[in-house]
Amino acid sequence: MLIPSCMEDRSKASMLLKNISIDREEEMMMADLAEAIIPKTETPGAKDIGAHLFVLMMVDDCYKAADQQKFVAGLKAFEIATKEQFGKSFNKCSMEEREILLNDLEAKNTENADLPYFYSNTKGLVIQAYTTSKFYLSEVQVYKLVPGKFYGCVPLNKAS
Amino acid sequence: MAENTFDAIVIGSGMSGGWAAKEFTGKGLKTLVLERGRDVKHLKDYPTTNMMPWEFEHRGQIPVAIKDANPVISRCYAFKEDAMHFFVKDTEHPYLQEKPFDWIRGYQVGGKSLMWARHTQRWSQYDFEAPKRDGYAVDWPIRYNDLSDWYSYVEKFAGISGNKDGLSQLPDGEFLPPHELNCVEEYFKNTITKKYKDRPVITARMAHLTEPQPIHIEQGRAQCQNRVICQRGCPFGGYFSSNASTLPWAAKTGNLTMITNAVVQQILYDEATDKATGVRVVDAITKESTDYLAPVIFVNAGAINTNLILLNSTSNRFPNGLGNDNGLLGKYVAFHNYRGRVFGKFNQLTDSNSVGRSPSGAYIPRFRNVFTKEADFLGGYASLFVAQRSLKMNTNGFGNKLKEQLSAKDLNDWSVSAMFMGETIPKASNQITLDNLNKDEWGMPLINFNVGYDDNDEKMLADFFAQMTEMFTTAGFTDIETKDSKQAPGLDIHEMGGVRMGSDPETSLLNKWNQLHQCKNVFVTDGACMTSTATQNPSLTYMALTARAVDYAVEELKNKNI
Repeated sequence: MLIPSCMEDRSKASMLLKNISIDREEEMMMADLAEAIIPKTETPGAKDIGAHLFVLMMVDDCYKAADQQKFVAGLKAFEIATKEQFGKSFNKCSMEEREILLNDLEAKNTENADLPYFYSNTKGLVIQAYTTSKFYLSEVQVYKLVPGKFYGCVPLNKAS
Repeated sequence: MAENTFDAIVIGSGMSGGWAAKEFTGKGLKTLVLERGRDVKHLKDYPTTNMMPWEFEHRGQIPVAIKDANPVISRCYAFKEDAMHFFVKDTEHPYLQEKPFDWIRGYQVGGKSLMWARHTQRWSQYDFEAPKRDGYAVDWPIRYNDLSDWYSYVEKFAGISGNKDGLSQLPDGEFLPPHELNCVEEYFKNTITKKYKDRPVITARMAHLTEPQPIHIEQGRAQCQNRVICQRGCPFGGYFSSNASTLPWAAKTGNLTMITNAVVQQILYDEATDKATGVRVVDAITKESTDYLAPVIFVNAGAINTNLILLNSTSNRFPNGLGNDNGLLGKYVAFHNYRGRVFGKFNQLTDSNSVGRSPSGAYIPRFRNVFTKEADFLGGYASLFVAQRSLKMNTNGFGNKLKEQLSAKDLNDWSVSAMFMGETIPKASNQITLDNLNKDEWGMPLINFNVGYDDNDEKMLADFFAQMTEMFTTAGFTDIETKDSKQAPGLDIHEMGGVRMGSDPETSLLNKWNQLHQCKNVFVTDGACMTSTATQNPSLTYMALTARAVDYAVEELKNKNI
């Protein structure tokens, strides 16, 4: 039987994951969650730098199997909790609703053990993606590949 | 056979092999360098050298599948996404561990000189005298004066930065300008030097071109730009490596032949002449075997592999390995104990910071058992002291607020740390042997490590924790914590011994010229030759010993003594 590729694509993540199973909808949820953590302002946000893809890739490549399971279980728990609270998926939630959800996550306001794990790891990796992004290291905290002279001791008001 | 015959053969192209190649070719000898790994050309074969942090897929981290398959190399501090291609993976070259030993290897042209930590200190007279004075190992057959001119010789060429500190326990060298210390490193230096008359703190001496001289420019190297990503290979040649320095220099003479993927199985011995005639090589890829001949052979395969080659070079005359009549080959293996760290915080001098990155730091030369034996353990330790301030990352919350917090330039107070670099005392029971029933795909027996810590190591580490805690307290540091990583021997990457030098053929393998007592045209000048370990980072001493031994070997060849 032939399955049109456009149909199949709808259920698969846009990236090739080797160990964890994430569908397209979950990937889009991750994108919006990442964006809620570091939003676009006049400067790029999480989506612009592909932070959600970085999160999934890091979990897929650099997490131990047990931690991957915890992460995915937490992700599913988050989807369920969102639907229970607002009757819709995170993507469909308003900005205010998203804020309520994230405030609860920050406060670890849940009885599910995997949910805080999922959130703190997602947040940590989103921050890592952002603070190591080309934008951040070129325009916020500038990384110089070739710094040249090292000045050992400089008063802070002159250090920049 | 003529095309396989050379004036000299050097086994290995790392730190000491590169020097042997440079010295032999410079003296006009047609020299064959055999490297078991692939070629790594300066500039051309540093694939990650100009990559920005965001260009690394995992931002430097090693994927868990690679870590799980390669637990030993994954424990090495420099085995990260940017330099992992320069390290041997566990799965590629297995070995046996009767006791855990983290054997860190770099099988390529340049060996580990590409990724080394670049600290370079001379040994002192006290270091060479210590085994005799304190009654361990055997007496070194040389003293500081035998090596001091050779230290100067290699330092000028390699380029070593540092201060003339005037310390007899850590002799001055031919220095390029030192790196700058940062505010707290400078403060610690002044405070400790004032409080403890016998504990100077100095700027670390390093193989970096802080101010290139004509000899360095001639090598095609330029000033160190403080990138501090040296392990990727440096496009400026800012630090010393075989690839940037000795090997291209040797090649320019026209006397160098380099064969890569050349695994040396054994040194060939001729009973009629009592000499080695050459080496048997297996091509790492085709597995084809070839013999190469030369009147003199330098074994610079890296301490452990040098032991392996000699142990595997059996003949009627030497059934237990070349030059091994006394049965000591592979014994008295030692290393540096790098288990200890002391951490602290400092909430003063917070109105200043450094600008840029420094490859250096402060160095505390050994102060225990130097001039007399005073502690309840043998040997001593040095320490590297570094201070730094990191960005104060407030990661609370989310949204615009979090994003703003991540843009703040506020700094944390100072974090300080001191690293333990302890001497270990060579002993017969710390030994490597060959398992002849277990061979690798190149026909080499697997090495079995039986090397461990002893009570002396534990006592010394405890003393380091006590002394450094006291020094940190004196300096006004807070939140002082000691940490014993309990890491296995080997992770220090300073494995030494097994083919030790000494005056007596009954108790040593090599004489004062690094020449096998029993086979005079074979020399060992890498870490395997070390009679004791002292506390210094060893590479500079290997370089000096190598240049000195080549000079001697060439004279002996001329005089037809070998």
